[in-house]
Amino acid sequence: MIEGYTEGTGTAVVGGTERRASRSLVALLGPVALVGALLSLVPLWLGDSRVMMGVAVLGLTFACYAVGFNLIFGSTGQLFLCVGALAGIGGYGSAIFADKVGLPILASMLLATLASSLIGGLLSWIAVRRSLGVIFTGIITLIFSLVFGNLVLGAAGITGGDGGFHIQAGADTFLRQTIPPYYLMLALLLVFVLSHGLLRRSHVGWAFRALRDDEVAAELAGVDVSRYRVYAAVIGAAMLGLSGSLFAFTEGTISPTTYGFAQVDVETMVMLAFGGIGSLFGPVLGAAVFTVIDELIQGLGQLRLLVYGALIIALFLWVPRGIIPTLGDLMRRRQE
Amino acid sequence: MIANLLDGIVLGLQFGLLAGGLTMVYGLGGVLNLAYGQMAVVSAMVVVLSMEAGLGPIPAVVVGLVAGGLLGLLLDLTILRPVYRLHGEARVLLSLLLTLGLAFMVDGFLSWRYPTKALTLRIGGGPVELLGVRMVRGGVVASVITILVLGGLLLFFRKTTLGRAVRSVIEDEEGARLVGVDPQRMLRLILILTGVLAALVAVTRSLVTPVSVTAGFELTVSALIVTVVGGLGSVGGAILAGLILGMISTVAASSIGTVLSLIILLVAAAVTILIRPSGLLGVEE
Amino acid sequence: MLEVRGLTAGYQGGDVIRDVGFHVDEGEAVMIIGSNGAGKTTLFRAVLGLLRPSSGTVEFQQEVITGKQTQRIARLGISFVPAERHLFPRMTVRENLSLGAYPDRPDPDDVQSVFDLFPRLAERRGQRAGTMSGGEQQMLAVGRALMSRPRLLVLDEPTTGLAPKLAAEAYRALGILKQRGLTVLVAEQQVPLALALSDRGYVLENGVIRKEGTSAELTHDPDVRRSYLGVV
Repeated sequence: MIEGYTEGTGTAVVGGTERRASRSLVALLGPVALVGALLSLVPLWLGDSRVMMGVAVLGLTFACYAVGFNLIFGSTGQLFLCVGALAGIGGYGSAIFADKVGLPILASMLLATLASSLIGGLLSWIAVRRSLGVIFTGIITLIFSLVFGNLVLGAAGITGGDGGFHIQAGADTFLRQTIPPYYLMLALLLVFVLSHGLLRRSHVGWAFRALRDDEVAAELAGVDVSRYRVYAAVIGAAMLGLSGSLFAFTEGTISPTTYGFAQVDVETMVMLAFGGIGSLFGPVLGAAVFTVIDELIQGLGQLRLLVYGALIIALFLWVPRGIIPTLGDLMRRRQE
Repeated sequence: MIANLLDGIVLGLQFGLLAGGLTMVYGLGGVLNLAYGQMAVVSAMVVVLSMEAGLGPIPAVVVGLVAGGLLGLLLDLTILRPVYRLHGEARVLLSLLLTLGLAFMVDGFLSWRYPTKALTLRIGGGPVELLGVRMVRGGVVASVITILVLGGLLLFFRKTTLGRAVRSVIEDEEGARLVGVDPQRMLRLILILTGVLAALVAVTRSLVTPVSVTAGFELTVSALIVTVVGGLGSVGGAILAGLILGMISTVAASSIGTVLSLIILLVAAAVTILIRPSGLLGVEE
Repeated sequence: MLEVRGLTAGYQGGDVIRDVGFHVDEGEAVMIIGSNGAGKTTLFRAVLGLLRPSSGTVEFQQEVITGKQTQRIARLGISFVPAERHLFPRMTVRENLSLGAYPDRPDPDDVQSVFDLFPRLAERRGQRAGTMSGGEQQMLAVGRALMSRPRLLVLDEPTTGLAPKLAAEAYRALGILKQRGLTVLVAEQQVPLALALSDRGYVLENGVIRKEGTSAELTHDPDVRRSYLGVV
């Protein structure tokens, strides 16, 4: 799958003319608007059911996670096995700031997002400084995940431990209604996808691409590989923290499993792998498909885990690059 | 304190054995087996089911060990086939993802089919007096078995032609091929061997504490951390790291509580990795 | 004994050797001379199955070995000493030698005869290979290759990184082995030493065999003299 980090949609515009650049902006905005329009229709269909809208919000949240993880892993090859933990810092952090410290909701969300962003950047900085490879980065971040999980359990006084806690802040506002959270989360997702797209079209994206294709060559070409890795982690972790935090306020309750490794990291990875690692809309497609699948196999109980395991294996064996890049390839081949 | 240290040694030896298995497979084939803990758990369930079917404890354990070995062979023959076609980091990554998938499948199946089963083996007789401390007999037996197995492994790797051939692949795969060693066959052999070791860890562990159907992930993560701290590819390092982390973990658990001790353990592991990425006894690249 | 026909091989960037053919008869010492980058290592890797050739055949004792795995080829009786030696660095001299005899247990007489050939190794039998000097490592690599009692010994630049005195020493040992009837194929940049050992030789340039002949013929060839013997 290392060879599989191919672009899904984007055409590289390196040093292109004004006109090409503006056309590429349209090429980016068009699909984002289309996806946004399609997704904004969902409440018309499911809006009557509080439960189904909850599922839809969760799906959007996972799409946000997948975009953040995609930026870190897909774009710069850093295997961050702490998606849940970084989102959890956003979620627990903002809930605690709002409920126990008494800050306004928006301020606590921003503070907690900043915290995840800094921690993500720090992890990346350590990995870069110690030149840890994919595997060691994975192990260090996995350890970080476990530490976070245990801290949440250990500091039961403020986190509520195993049972989690109910968030008082925003309890009677639109944040807990049925429809508004959906559009909030959708807006966040679209902003994320758009930012990722814009990043890829900027010189930062050019550097990402260069170091993903061939790190040594990128370094020789003068790309400061380590700096861009840390940038990606800072931005990606901020996305994770912000979405985790918004989710906490729309849900009203959080517990360790809300951000658990087995719940968040594995599912995010499966969604991204399905949609296409490195592709712009892969995370959205992956999240949509797996939210539906998850709903369909809800009745299987523990067997869901078996289905997920089998899906992971099947995906990495047969479509290691993900659906969007593979389909893109097929279409290109048919055109030729 | 001494009792805690001795408990730590019991735990540490098991960590070491588990991590040793993980590290051998990694050193030999660039394969990171994240379903390793599940191999132990499946073997434990085989022992439980055999005993429920009427076998005595010892024959049941033998069946469990054989099952562990078969699982290793099965891994080599099925899910790792596509992994062998890749090289370098891509290989490690694919092996990690596929075995993670397998781990979920096993966990899902077991907790659906046998949600409440656990393996507990009891050894009769009272506590044993050791260094003036009364130790649970099961723990002492578990340690003795583990030490014997570790000794046997050491002899195998130092003294036998086959053991040396396995080491030769870890040290220099091309050199090994040039003297006629088939790396693929060595890897298969070691996968079988580590399957048996995983089963053995499950059995010895069940002498001290129940091994439940959901223990797999925890076992794998412990083994992974011990492996990395000890140095990937170094069996001696794995045992040393297992002992150190085992003792830290039990001593800390008794003095400051389980959750905090786990955090300390994890932080210790992270710090070791950051100070010495090659691990305690690993080779600097 | 060894017959190579039309061998073409290379890496992703393209072919390194093209249509190379040569042969080695029983009891002979044959050299392949060529400068850095001529393709000597690629040629040997293709012969030994470490690299899959894109076309051509390799026959060893009338058996086609092209496409066979390296470990099988090794067990058929070809011992290869690569330029990077590929010893087992954390094992002792003795363990390295023992593995040379794999899958059999080492014959004590064979170990002794390696020690007779390289007395230095006898002194260091308990030392780890990775801690020895370049010359000692080269001796150990040759010693390990001899432990399987090969029919054909293939060496890739055995003098790489060795001081002139040690290089001469290495060739003295090869001379002894040749006298005992061992067939030797050697690739070399240090042409004078190789010429003294060999019966015949081939000149490899840019991946193609340019010349072949007996050692005497090659010694008097003006091109060889100019390019490899430093005679103007």
